[in-house]
Amino acid sequence: MNFLPLAQAPSLQFFQAPGGSQQAYIMALSAIFVGLLLMVAMFNTPIKLRRPIIILLTFLAGGFYVLSWLWPLPLGLDASQKPLNSVEAVSLTLQDGTTVMGKILQVIQGILLFLGVYSVLRVHAGRFLKRQKDWAFSLVLLCSMMAMITVGYGEYIDNVRSAGVHANAESWTFWQYGKDFLFDGMLQNMDAAMFSIIAFFILSAAYRAFRIRSIESTILLASALIMILALMGLAEYGSGQVIERITGGDPSHFANNFSLTSIRLWIRDTLQAPSIRALEWGIFIGGLAMGIRLWLSLERSGGGS
Amino acid sequence: MGEQYYDTGWISILLVLLFSAFVLFNIRRAIASKGSGKEVYIRRIAGLNAIEEAIGRATEMGRPVLMVPGIGGLNAISMQALNIFGHVTKTAARFATPIRLCCADAAVYTVAQEIISETYQREGLSERFDQDSVRFISDRQFAFATGVSGTIHREKVAAAFFLGEFFAESLIFAETANSVGAIQVAGSTQNTQTPFFIAACDYVLISDEFYAASAYLSRQPVLVGSLVGQDWIKMTVMGMILFGSLASTFEVVSGLKTQERDGTQLVDGERKSISDTWFYHQLKPDAPKPEEIPQREPADGVTEEGGGA
Repeated sequence: MNFLPLAQAPSLQFFQAPGGSQQAYIMALSAIFVGLLLMVAMFNTPIKLRRPIIILLTFLAGGFYVLSWLWPLPLGLDASQKPLNSVEAVSLTLQDGTTVMGKILQVIQGILLFLGVYSVLRVHAGRFLKRQKDWAFSLVLLCSMMAMITVGYGEYIDNVRSAGVHANAESWTFWQYGKDFLFDGMLQNMDAAMFSIIAFFILSAAYRAFRIRSIESTILLASALIMILALMGLAEYGSGQVIERITGGDPSHFANNFSLTSIRLWIRDTLQAPSIRALEWGIFIGGLAMGIRLWLSLERSGGGS
Repeated sequence: MGEQYYDTGWISILLVLLFSAFVLFNIRRAIASKGSGKEVYIRRIAGLNAIEEAIGRATEMGRPVLMVPGIGGLNAISMQALNIFGHVTKTAARFATPIRLCCADAAVYTVAQEIISETYQREGLSERFDQDSVRFISDRQFAFATGVSGTIHREKVAAAFFLGEFFAESLIFAETANSVGAIQVAGSTQNTQTPFFIAACDYVLISDEFYAASAYLSRQPVLVGSLVGQDWIKMTVMGMILFGSLASTFEVVSGLKTQERDGTQLVDGERKSISDTWFYHQLKPDAPKPEEIPQREPADGVTEEGGGA
């Protein structure tokens, strides 16, 4: 029985004002006003009431996603079709709501990023102004950050105003050259340099890990050696030749199980894959329990009791 | 509900609801049994026992303790990492050991600030809390790796805790901390990074040990009950694997054949493969066939051809 009202999914045009339009500005200002109002209201709420309010909000926000996941998905329904019944209508509304919730989260992330930038400024500007140890590094960081923000924002504004005429390098202005130099020329390469360092770290970590100190590390060393050798063409070829001589080319011979490739595949499929799946199960189950505790506000963070 | 809703993996939903019920039931059980002398036993986890040792060492050396909650966003994983860091901070605050908590996500940074500040307040040591000890470094992976490595080198941290979501930067952190002689306790939910941590760190929390940590450290009934619920889930999953393997094996090897209707006669079809078995189908339902998709009217303002009005 359909006990939910038969309803068409609401149109979300209200939340999707075109960028730069008067409606978008009104919406943005209204959102800031409502946000400030809520903030003031929250500050003036008695401390005893704050926790229940936060618990309620957490429950509602989490409940929305739980309901979105639990509610049956209609087969093949898209935005150009009318839902058949109220179950499909609710599902469509929930799917649309997920997009809106995602945007709300993006806004919150954007606001929080300001706090992050403030943290960077406070730590490094303080160190520079007080001339603490390594203040020069902080100065470099602050200058780099300001340069990147200025050039990035300038390039964005320039691209919006010129409606993409700077797509070719011949028509680049200062902003495009600046972005190319700072982002593609420096930042990306420094990222790549840090990534490359991992190769050397792997070597030093492997040296320590593969030293024979216990039974476990010996097993680890043996397994690693087999995996490495089996992936080396020459060693694999040599092992294949030896096995072929023993078996005389008979594919059903028992000795075929002892070729390097067979041992490697056995280690990978029989030992490694199930172990990783078991570990992943543990992580998923732990995540589920943690998610429930957070959704229902059952625990206090930071070791509180 | 229309028939089309039934074949979209309902058994997975049922299982998640059952698993959730296990967790909630055991939390309730643990709260009810608190103080009755029947507390649940949790096995020893070496990595967590090392926390006090690491902080003690940092205190003796007068160097900071570093904590990194990974590079993931604000989710259950980073919240769990921050929970563990709350416990680390509690001990560090008592010994007046300086801490450094480096974040790659602004939301995680904000929550971390709150948790660490609250931990100091709860211990009655608010004056020892340094606001700059919790830092946002960068949300770019390798810029963050560079920033944390710089902090490790400059401040010569004595203990480092890497808990949360780590990716390629895990080894950079672990090796840099090793190079300054820091005790390292690490744990990642990314299985691809766990081997790197095992190779480079002193203690590693593997898999769900990461989630068991806060229960182990605090022994709160809610967390301990949740841990027991997780064990119930694991036992159920093990039972399902056993039952599924046996049932699928039986179905495949016993010579059972599908039957197909040929006119008025039922004839044997092809022998079943694993993907034809009942159990496989319950967990991995087929995609709907085109004829199963119901016909619907176009929405208001949409023409039959699909264009807008």
